[in-house]
Amino acid sequence: MQYGRFLLRRVVHSLFVIWGAATVVFLLRFLTPGDPVTVLAPPDAGDEVRDALRQRLGLDEPVHVQYFEYITDLMVADFGKSMEVLDRSVLDWIFWTRFLRSVELAVSATLIAIAIAIPLGVISARRRHTVSDYGATLFSLGGISTPNFWLGLMLILLIAVPVGFIPTGTPGPLLHEAVGDLFAGDPGTLGDWLRFMFLPALTLGTYFTALITRLTRSGMLEEIGKAYVKASRAKGLPETLTMYRHVLRNTLIPIVTILGLQLGTLIGGAIITETVFEWNGLGQLLIERINARDWTMIQGIVIIIAIGFVSINTVVDLLYAYLDPRVIDE
Amino acid sequence: MPNSESRRDFLKYAGTAAAAVTTVSVAGCVGSDDDGGGSTLESVTVTQGAFPDNLDPVKDNSTPTYNVIDQAYEPFLYRDKETGEPTARVMDEFERVDDSTVELGLRDGVTFHNGDDCTTEDIAFSINRANNPDVSEVAAVIGDIDEAVAVDDTTVELNLNAAVPVIFRNLGAFGRVTQQSFIEDDSIDATTEMNGTGPYQLANNEEGTFVEYEIFEDYWGDEPDVQTARFNGRSEDGARVDALEADESDVISAVPPNEMSSIRNTDGLRAESVPSIRSIFLVMNDIKEPFTSVDFRRAMNYAVDVEAIIESALEGFGAQTAQPTLEGQNGHDPDIEPYPFDQDQAESLVEQSGFAGAEITLDVPTGRYVGGVNVAETAAGQIDELSNVSCEANRRDFGTLVGEIFAPEQGAAPAFYLIGWGVPTLDADYAMRDWFGPDANSKMANDEQIEDLLEQATNTTDSEARVDLLQQANARARDQAYRVFLHQQFSLYGIDDRIAWAPRADEDILVEEMSAAE
Repeated sequence: MQYGRFLLRRVVHSLFVIWGAATVVFLLRFLTPGDPVTVLAPPDAGDEVRDALRQRLGLDEPVHVQYFEYITDLMVADFGKSMEVLDRSVLDWIFWTRFLRSVELAVSATLIAIAIAIPLGVISARRRHTVSDYGATLFSLGGISTPNFWLGLMLILLIAVPVGFIPTGTPGPLLHEAVGDLFAGDPGTLGDWLRFMFLPALTLGTYFTALITRLTRSGMLEEIGKAYVKASRAKGLPETLTMYRHVLRNTLIPIVTILGLQLGTLIGGAIITETVFEWNGLGQLLIERINARDWTMIQGIVIIIAIGFVSINTVVDLLYAYLDPRVIDE
Repeated sequence: MPNSESRRDFLKYAGTAAAAVTTVSVAGCVGSDDDGGGSTLESVTVTQGAFPDNLDPVKDNSTPTYNVIDQAYEPFLYRDKETGEPTARVMDEFERVDDSTVELGLRDGVTFHNGDDCTTEDIAFSINRANNPDVSEVAAVIGDIDEAVAVDDTTVELNLNAAVPVIFRNLGAFGRVTQQSFIEDDSIDATTEMNGTGPYQLANNEEGTFVEYEIFEDYWGDEPDVQTARFNGRSEDGARVDALEADESDVISAVPPNEMSSIRNTDGLRAESVPSIRSIFLVMNDIKEPFTSVDFRRAMNYAVDVEAIIESALEGFGAQTAQPTLEGQNGHDPDIEPYPFDQDQAESLVEQSGFAGAEITLDVPTGRYVGGVNVAETAAGQIDELSNVSCEANRRDFGTLVGEIFAPEQGAAPAFYLIGWGVPTLDADYAMRDWFGPDANSKMANDEQIEDLLEQATNTTDSEARVDLLQQANARARDQAYRVFLHQQFSLYGIDDRIAWAPRADEDILVEEMSAAE
């Protein structure tokens, strides 16, 4: 029952957050310089053409009328049509290819971060003040300090260009296509998926690998100093069991929360990586649409990202509550 | 920069060995065209800096979009590669009947990719659609057309609202031949599907990522030498060059000037440059002080060392200009000389203008023109060196700047900014109308004499008289110094040596003009 009320609170809270994001992005149109019609209309268009376009886009209505229509349309999942490509639906443009590309990239980067960072953080904590610890610390400092943009271009230059079979950019097949071909007996598509995903995921995952390494190390060190660890050792439990079943598990709870937050951010926030690798995900689409002053697309993308972010964090909160029921009463 | 020579050498020797083994078996499949062109190429990949949002031929009036869709969609007419004069394409006859009527003749054997014959109704529909401001991005530039009408099975008549002496040039640049039933079919999305008359038909399209073409067997013209073509986009300059060096692309456009030598030094690649149809200049808004003074505007021209800018910021890839219309374009006056670099003269003119001590800001659009930011900031620095003028450069987002430039009121535009203007019709009317004409949408100069000359040129079908009027307009624009005339932009390309292809001055990339290098 308590868990149910917690869930309901989180869902209601999420809806408010999404409504807030939708309102902010709607109002941003009026705060940013430049008139969408001037950018969207042909450069040589006269006043008549501009007025017709303004009317067609509904931009001649009062602000409050535009807002009301916008919010009521959103409630029935009508995101409208692109302001620049007037026949294309916003949702059609986002789903599914662009959306899946961003999700796959974000998940891949997160998996890389987990696979590298947690073992590295554990080693660093257990072998404190050794070469391994110093190496891990140097790596994490470097990873946090290195700009994404530069890292991506360097990886292209130093790996993709000389190696040859690692592409310099552009997306490969989608994962569901690769898996489908694998079950049909053709593993080649999965190989292509891995080839195309490798550098972008490594670029995007480097910062989070470094961050999670630092967090894992410091979390482990904090837990190792606690009384239950002493008690565990005094009881004669093997060190490995103490470290991995007890210490690491307690360390991971906050890290899971952070990973969830980061994953939500990555889905729409990997703009730089997507641009460098021409990944054609949501981030790159957002930049393209901002440059085109295509406000319906901008609104749609931001709302989809907000929904994704809020959903992931709601799941993380629920998971956290399941792992640590004390948070339900907070 | 990694040395890719050893890898290229390996590939070269391996390829030679493979070719020696398989030569006999493939000899029958590879050969020259009957007309003596190059041998066949299996595939070509072209990578541009931008990629179209959609494939509908009237939705976007930009060169990168046309380069992608023009493999499948053809214009009504075209232009000679050397002279720029209108030539036949889908319409093989074009004639002016009177001041307000032209006739076009449809050639035999034109077929759409879906197998249907191209009819004069389709041609009329395509022209009217391109002329419709509700759906077309090119409606305002295709010409003052009233209506296109299919007269019979071979003739289309265009009824014009004005003389439009450049109508044939416009039909070679704007609008494409589309099938009426294809466009009007609600079950078809013309932004992602294609049905043209061109030598290639759409084979695969991943929206926003790439477009792949294969040869259209029933094309009315010669079969191309390239079997399949792929177009994609890489917005990052460095990544585009990397793609060429990694053999992922065969042709790349918009190469940064500083990368040209790198490409030239890479085995198996070559870098080529060609003067483009775009000129780059600094606009001075003549209703904003100090640019209200012709002396001050002339001073700005004397203050900027354009040759030095071309050498330093553009690594030599540019040609100094002296008038709005470029050399080779109709209406260009070959007798007009550029303003010389003369700081003393500039300072003297500033004093004469009464605006000594002026503080001006040069707005610089980012991410749009080759070396544009460097050029503008260098020019601003040169102006700032004058003892009686202060000038600083201010970087601006291109989209925002364009919005201000094309605002209805001239006062909303900045006082001083860098811009480029491409002229796909290769005619002075397009080069000047939108800046100097009476109804100009980006009007920065109020000069009745130029307006009158342009109006006269619009209503004159005598080509010699028209050229004379346009040359006078160019001379006036130079004399009154409404701009700081900078340079003609060069189009820079990186090309794989296995491809025989010469880039065009009009920036068009047509795979049908490519073949295997000897």
